[in-house]
Amino acid sequence: MRDTSNLSKEEQNILQIIKTVIDPEVAVNIVDLGLIYNITLYEENKHIHILMTLSARGCPVGDTIMQHVEVAVKSFWTDYEVEVELTWEPQWTPEMITDEGKAALGQ
Amino acid sequence: MSAAGLSTKNAPSPMVVLPHYALGAIAFIIASILLFFAAGDLTTSYIGPKVLSIVHILILGWVTMIIFGALYQLIPVVMEIKLYSEGLAYASLVTLTIGVSMMTWGFWESYTAPTIIKHAGGGFLILSMLLFVYNVLMSAKRTANKTIENKFIVTSAFWLLATVLFGIFILFNVSYSWVSASSMDLLKVHVLMGMVGWFMLLIIGVASTLMPMFFIAHQLNKKCLERSYILVNIGLVAGLFLLYFFPNTAWISIFALPIFIGMAMFFKYNLSAYKKRLRKKLDIGMKLSVLAFIVFVVSVILGILTIIISDIYPIFSSKIYLAFSASLIFGFFTILILGQMYKTLPFIVWLQKYQDKVGKFTIPLPNDLYSEKVADAHYYTVIISIISLIIGLLISQEIIIQIAAGFFVLTGLLYAYNTFTIILHKENATPLKKPEFKK
Repeated sequence: MRDTSNLSKEEQNILQIIKTVIDPEVAVNIVDLGLIYNITLYEENKHIHILMTLSARGCPVGDTIMQHVEVAVKSFWTDYEVEVELTWEPQWTPEMITDEGKAALGQ
Repeated sequence: MSAAGLSTKNAPSPMVVLPHYALGAIAFIIASILLFFAAGDLTTSYIGPKVLSIVHILILGWVTMIIFGALYQLIPVVMEIKLYSEGLAYASLVTLTIGVSMMTWGFWESYTAPTIIKHAGGGFLILSMLLFVYNVLMSAKRTANKTIENKFIVTSAFWLLATVLFGIFILFNVSYSWVSASSMDLLKVHVLMGMVGWFMLLIIGVASTLMPMFFIAHQLNKKCLERSYILVNIGLVAGLFLLYFFPNTAWISIFALPIFIGMAMFFKYNLSAYKKRLRKKLDIGMKLSVLAFIVFVVSVILGILTIIISDIYPIFSSKIYLAFSASLIFGFFTILILGQMYKTLPFIVWLQKYQDKVGKFTIPLPNDLYSEKVADAHYYTVIISIISLIIGLLISQEIIIQIAAGFFVLTGLLYAYNTFTIILHKENATPLKKPEFKK
């Protein structure tokens, strides 16, 4: 997620928490890898929706990463229901990696 | 949590997969020890009881064993469906282990062991292969993923069946003489089907799926793979026909040309993945895999030289044929397995131990499950091993082959150390310290 300007302050906080989730194969956080597409916080419903993808369909640690996102967010927003949705659209490309992510990958 | 299409949901039980890695590591060590004691034989001929024994434990006990285990794990990854049957997978593991043990001993002690040992071993092996092939094809039937990579895997399963059936046919033909063709000529057909039809096609399919994933390389041109598939299969069919019906005819080795071009296309595809990789620094698993591809280039060169020299300078042909075979089996296949173990086994065990602990406990990363130092060490020992083996075979020097064997044993021990360290990893989770964060 390169452009976070459309996120509310609270949604940006959620993004910061998701930054603690590391892809165990590359040891880089999934926000800088560009895997998080959108975050929406619904205050009335106490619902947080996170739309994310994975770098490859065959990623063997895919649902572990998603589970980690859910657990990490829920640990701070304890009174919210957290939904992590996986999508393959648009397909992830390396261009979605942030500059920090590229630096961590050694580029 | 919506998780459609995730391979972990389809992953088989680790108890199906892990024993393959463990037994494979042990087989590699045994094969290396046998290589030491067969060094003398290898300077005089490329066929003989000890050589056949080593070839079979290496190809079946090491490479095939690991391939079975890895494929049972990978089929959910490449085909995005559950493995058809875990029960059949266990059965193929048991029969493979028994069959390989009997064949290896039966060949090594060819002059003293009863022939029934080899025949019974062969029976167990064919059962194992049938179970594997059936499992793979029934799994493949369910997948919607009709990609070129999957075509390679499914086709290789058919060639595996053909290889084993033909191998058993040769074994019985020695005793019962069903056809007049010599065992040597029939063996060439068997070897071609096995090395190219089974191994090469499978490795192309699996490596072409995994390497781009691990390199994090995108938008690769799959036309290379499609051409490779057609060329290798054309060469294979032509080769089998020529070797069976026109053995020992000059220049029939020309069938190998499309095979080598097909292999070059496969190399080109992975080279482009390497060049497009996002992770510039390679971890030990990928370092070893890249090394395997470098050895692959050497194999292709030696293979081409084998064809040219066997018709022009036959006296040298068995030496170069041995060097070519060794560079492929002890070289490319072995080193690729060494590398890809580090990309697969730690994750299998890590998921088993920690999947339900992520985000709740501080846990190690998959790479923390093994010793990086030990892996680096066997990276260097395997380089020394393969260089000495190729040279030793080319110049027929027993002592150099023994040195190579010694280094392979060392490589095997270091690799087995890491394999068992991973498999026997004890859970190490501590309560999570929540990150400092102001809401």
